[in-house]
Amino acid sequence: MSVPDYMQCAEDHQTLLVVVQPVGIVSEENFFRIYKRICSVSQISVRDSQRVLYIRYRHHYPPENNEWGDFQTHRKVVGLITITDCFSAKDWPQTFEKFHVQKEIYGSTLYDSRLFVFGLQGEIAEQARTDVAFYPNYEDCQTVEKRIEDFIESLFIVLESKRLDRATDKSGDKIPLLCVPFEKKDFVGLDTDSRHYKKRCQGRMRKHVGDLCLQAGMLQDSLVHYHMSVELLRSVNDFLWLGAALEGLCSASVIYHYPGGTGGKSGARRFQGSTLPAEAANRHRPGALTTNGINPDTSTEIGRAKNCLSPEDIIDKYKEAISYYSKYKNAGVIELEACIKAVRVLAIQKRSMEASEFLQNAVYINLRQLSEEEKIQRYSILSELYELIGFHRKSAFFKRVAAMQCVAPSIAEPGWRACYKLLLETLPGYSLSLDPKDFSRGTHRGWAAVQMRLLHELVYASRRMGNPALSVRHLSFLLQTMLDFLSDQEKKDVTQSLENYTSKCPGTMEPIALPGGLTLPPVPFTKLPIVRHVKLLNLPASLRPHKVKSLLGQNMSTKSPFIYSPIIAHNRGEERSKKIDFQWVQGDVCEVQLMVYNPMPFELRVENMGLLTSGVEFESLPAALSLPAESGLYPVTLVGVPQTTGTITVNGYHTTVFGVFSDCLLDNLPGIKTSGSTVEVIPALPRLQISTSLPRSAHSLQPSSGDEVSTNVSVQLYNGESQQLIIKLENIGMEPLEKLEVTSKVLTTKEKLYGDFLSWKLEETLAQFPLLPGKVATFTINIKVKLDFSCQENLLQDLSDDGISVSGFPLSSPFRQVVRPRVEGKPVNPPESSKAGDYSHMKTLEAVLNFKYSGGPGHTEGYYRNLSLGLHVEVEPSVFFTRVSTLPASSTRQCHLLLDVFNSTEHELTVSTRSSEVLILHAGECQRMAIQVDKFNFESFPESPGEKGQFANPKQLEEERREARGLEIHSKLGIRWRIISFSWGHLGLGAPSPRVPTSKRDP
Amino acid sequence: MAVCVAVIAKENYPLYIRSTLTENELKFHYMVHTSLDVVDEKISAMGKALVDQRELYLGLLYPTEDYKVYGYVTNSKVKFVMVVDSSNTALRDNEIRSMFRKLHNSYTDVMCNPFYNPGDRIQSRAFDNMVTSMMIQVC
Repeated sequence: MSVPDYMQCAEDHQTLLVVVQPVGIVSEENFFRIYKRICSVSQISVRDSQRVLYIRYRHHYPPENNEWGDFQTHRKVVGLITITDCFSAKDWPQTFEKFHVQKEIYGSTLYDSRLFVFGLQGEIAEQARTDVAFYPNYEDCQTVEKRIEDFIESLFIVLESKRLDRATDKSGDKIPLLCVPFEKKDFVGLDTDSRHYKKRCQGRMRKHVGDLCLQAGMLQDSLVHYHMSVELLRSVNDFLWLGAALEGLCSASVIYHYPGGTGGKSGARRFQGSTLPAEAANRHRPGALTTNGINPDTSTEIGRAKNCLSPEDIIDKYKEAISYYSKYKNAGVIELEACIKAVRVLAIQKRSMEASEFLQNAVYINLRQLSEEEKIQRYSILSELYELIGFHRKSAFFKRVAAMQCVAPSIAEPGWRACYKLLLETLPGYSLSLDPKDFSRGTHRGWAAVQMRLLHELVYASRRMGNPALSVRHLSFLLQTMLDFLSDQEKKDVTQSLENYTSKCPGTMEPIALPGGLTLPPVPFTKLPIVRHVKLLNLPASLRPHKVKSLLGQNMSTKSPFIYSPIIAHNRGEERSKKIDFQWVQGDVCEVQLMVYNPMPFELRVENMGLLTSGVEFESLPAALSLPAESGLYPVTLVGVPQTTGTITVNGYHTTVFGVFSDCLLDNLPGIKTSGSTVEVIPALPRLQISTSLPRSAHSLQPSSGDEVSTNVSVQLYNGESQQLIIKLENIGMEPLEKLEVTSKVLTTKEKLYGDFLSWKLEETLAQFPLLPGKVATFTINIKVKLDFSCQENLLQDLSDDGISVSGFPLSSPFRQVVRPRVEGKPVNPPESSKAGDYSHMKTLEAVLNFKYSGGPGHTEGYYRNLSLGLHVEVEPSVFFTRVSTLPASSTRQCHLLLDVFNSTEHELTVSTRSSEVLILHAGECQRMAIQVDKFNFESFPESPGEKGQFANPKQLEEERREARGLEIHSKLGIRWRIISFSWGHLGLGAPSPRVPTSKRDP
Repeated sequence: MAVCVAVIAKENYPLYIRSTLTENELKFHYMVHTSLDVVDEKISAMGKALVDQRELYLGLLYPTEDYKVYGYVTNSKVKFVMVVDSSNTALRDNEIRSMFRKLHNSYTDVMCNPFYNPGDRIQSRAFDNMVTSMMIQVC
């Protein structure tokens, strides 16, 4: 006996074994169709008694196992059913012959046999035979079940007669010695008359009768026989059979205690619920009459409770039986099966620890050299049993061993599919799910080494199965989830093989459905690279849209009439966390900045990296990047163009790494920092580009309002000079530019500015509007600088060096009387004329020109854009009046105004007044000029101290008055200067050269 | 002495596992992993007993051909598993017990470290040294 039946369970002891086999050529499909129908007749209530017969059908049974039939009668093939095709009458004799040959195989043990013939019709088929049934075809055979029932009843009759026969044998005649195949030669020449031998014979026979009783549905009788047998065999130390008797006792007790069965074959035992076990005990009563032959004093009723083992005893007896079996090497299969049966009982009793001991024992039972298939079967069944007792890890371990056995090198045709299937079944045991989502929270906690091994095996098996998509999926999973546990070398190896696989079959984001109903979810590479921070970027300042403020104001748009309410504030806070308070514009490139990190010890090439968005049609412009090994945080900007308007949500990004496409959703990324991912997209707006006649400036203005200035230009002017700035406005967007507003803002507030610094006429430019895409318009701005240089200490220092005494106070102060003795109006030649060009003398003026423009659909929605031009003007001093005095003129109405004019430039210049007097001044020269003017009073100045006095600061008032007077003097005198060389040189540029000194005056 | 020592968290993932034979480390991983079935079973059986009477030492979990696997569970359900060579008959239950007690003390020290995050892998050098001493000590 060498082939163990791993499916055995205790209640199989009460079954009759029937073999169903095809003869000749019968298609497998037809055979199993009939086989299934036969199997459905698995239990029969015997006529006129309440006993039930159980049948175990096998379509394959090794005859060598049959030889152990005397040892345990349920191993004995008692019935044979053969199924055959036979289509013509002339084949019939041959077919019938085959049936007989088949019978020979199990001949010694058969009680009865049947032949089912399909296809034969006519004369032969009409003869009524008990052992042959004819059916025209496989469909038309309704009586199969009935036939089987008859057959079983005939088996019962034989069984019953055997039981009675054996039972009565005892009455004095010599009882034959039953033995197992390997014992036969041991008993040759033994004294058959000894007491010892007789007892042995008796004990074994009792055990045999017990088996028969059990099969015949007489549970209590069998218990009695087993008990007696145990006593007999124990006294003669017949261990093998003692073991069998004990096991019989266990089986009968298990059947009594667990009518539901231990094999887990649901429905196999259809007892009528509550009638058991009380009824089970009673129902054999009619049959009890027949027991008197062997054991008239068996009082089953009295002994019942005692005979039946308690659940604890069952296990003890199993243990004992197994220990006896283990003494015999040849009984390995019996021992193994007993272990399995005990485990099943223990599983029902929920005694896992003891069950595991039995299983552990079963593992060590060494049968002969097993074939590879048998090994697989053995490991699989061990795995199942461990699962049964709740040892999932152990179960997984054996299942994995079984899987490995499927592809052992000694197997000619490795079963990679089976291996793969078994490996998949081990996943729960290693608490490994193939869904990467289960790994996304926090650090991975599990048996990494073991799990990695399993994943590697899955990858390999799926590759050998010829399913590269599966290998890619598993390998991606391995890389994604076990990254922290892979050594540098392993990382290299895994990625290397992943790239090899993906070169044939790129990884996708599609779930892969496995035949077993399992679905492998996609594995996005969220760790290759790791994204730490996601930030949606606002448009550059010049392109940011602004909302035209409505009369109500934007803040009033919320439904609540309250400015602040704690309840609403809370809600707002939540909203704000999601939605970002800037807008993107349809058709304009938007940017999202990611901070990424490469965890690999080598350069990581990320291709096709782009944004995943929803809400708005979005054209993503993918990028490719290459991250250096173990890089720190590395900024990556992903761009795209929204094509429609609405609210856009950035859900994640997609990448292609090592040939695997991944869609990484931000929600699933652990430890990511994001400042919101929802942004409103407003309708398209035009784009304005400006270019100027002036050079760009290195200075960048920092306007206080926080607006950024996109372009800066600079110009250098002499005080009093004015210049035209020509600005080219180009519409580089896709929408017509319909509206333009220009405003300016002077940033330098320290300097006192006289007159209009910037002036322009917008009408001419607006005449060219709307400006279609690609069209250019020009816009001219006049820059005029008039500053007060009078208190520049450096400059005055120069002058005093030349012996001109100055007060150190602003010369231009209208109320300052210059009382110092003055030097003759001789030309002053400063020794360090180079100083004139020293920039320390310069003053700067800064201003921002704001171009508010709009057009297209964005305009109708009330949005505009703001473009700022920074203007940086450096002002150099030009002409100073170092001294002012008056002389009476010939006419009393007039006087001479004497001005000491100093040219602080490096250029020769002319000074002219209204009276067409032209004075030529060389660089750094100081000359006196006299102007005859009419005397006048500042009557025209609208002094209204009565109106303003109380409210205005007297100082301010004074300032205002002073300014007004200055203007009046200026308009009267009309003093102008002009740099001769510039006026020519600059004429070509259209630069205007009438430069007007800012100040002069006199009381 | 011990050929493999493992500390397993309440949720049954390893906090620490080390074996002497580095070339066959995976085998011990498997061995310790499967022993958890027995540990679980023993703990659930113990659950019925009174908590304060509970014995932390679980005894022999299961023997294999070459090794014996012993278990110990703390009150916080952290498990210690130790694999010893079964040829080493000098090791009695009492020695195993005291080894586990040492291991428990050392583990307590690790937990007392304010910089240790409960649930993380144990990387303490002191603990490592103690395990090493348990592995090389000849009985």
